[in-house]
Amino acid sequence: MSLIRHLLVIAVMLGASIASPASAQGSSLARSDRASTISSVPAEVLVVLAKEEQGKIDPQLGKMTALRRPPFNSFRSMKVLSRPKLKLTPGKDALVSLPNGRRMKLTLLRVMPDGRYKVKAAINRPDKSDYLPLLQVIASAGDPFFVAGQKYQGGTLIVGVIVDPKKTAQ
Amino acid sequence: MDSPEKEDEKLQMFFDGELAPEEEAAVRRSLEGSPKAAAQLREWEHLRTAMKSVATDWAGEIDSDALFARIENEIGAPVVPIARPKLEQPGLRVIPDGRERRVWGGVATGFAAAAAIFLAVMAWPEPHLDPSPIVRGSQVLEADFGSNTGTIFEVEGGAGQSLAVIWIDDEEVGLP
Repeated sequence: MSLIRHLLVIAVMLGASIASPASAQGSSLARSDRASTISSVPAEVLVVLAKEEQGKIDPQLGKMTALRRPPFNSFRSMKVLSRPKLKLTPGKDALVSLPNGRRMKLTLLRVMPDGRYKVKAAINRPDKSDYLPLLQVIASAGDPFFVAGQKYQGGTLIVGVIVDPKKTAQ
Repeated sequence: MDSPEKEDEKLQMFFDGELAPEEEAAVRRSLEGSPKAAAQLREWEHLRTAMKSVATDWAGEIDSDALFARIENEIGAPVVPIARPKLEQPGLRVIPDGRERRVWGGVATGFAAAAAIFLAVMAWPEPHLDPSPIVRGSQVLEADFGSNTGTIFEVEGGAGQSLAVIWIDDEEVGLP
């Protein structure tokens, strides 16, 4: 009979562990909880100078296969100028200086229920709104969005923004 | 003339003193003309002597009188029946209505297993009901190019996801 008692206890414990709130509610609740409780998210900005002249592709961009596809495939050389890391806090601006004197302003607006990040970006000269006044993007962790087209030193700046870069390898 | 095996056997019997007198005399005669057989006999004799010596040494170490006395005592002792512990019979045979209990045990085990499966099925999150499947990539919600003109592209990422590209035409600006 002790064997039967043991089996009953195991069954109850198994059921209780599976039915625990964390797993029973599924991942969607956990994600929406994260949206309201998250304090800050790491982010990385990739500043690349791309030129159409024949040259080297920076080895740091080896895994960034998107930069080898249109509209970037017309560039024959790419060099990473800077790779600043920052923390995005909801409602708080984070500034990144670009080599052409403009500044990129990034703001984490919210974390979506599906875990993606809603980010606001702007690129302007200080106290101006002469280039990109407003951009709103939704990005999943580790997946970049690019702002390109600024002319610099005979080339074009490509600015990639990766939110939560360590979460998903690009 | 005997075969070598037969001769060897006869020599062994001679050594052990098992031959008839006339055969023993014949072997003794043949040994005079056979130094090989004589050497064999000497070797066996040497072995026998060595073994006797060892046996005598071992026998000296054993107190044979005490050993025999103990054996005699054991033999002479009255036979006492050994009280064997009562063997415990398997529970299902001893307990009345054991078959019934076994059935109930099986039912309880089945119930426990069914309860575990039921709880697992009820509590398992159903993936197809998840309203927010994981979405990869990035996408533009809103873009204000100001006085510039721009284009929004989609480029495929390394995992096949769609990545947003905002391309804004620009005139090179000087450092402030």
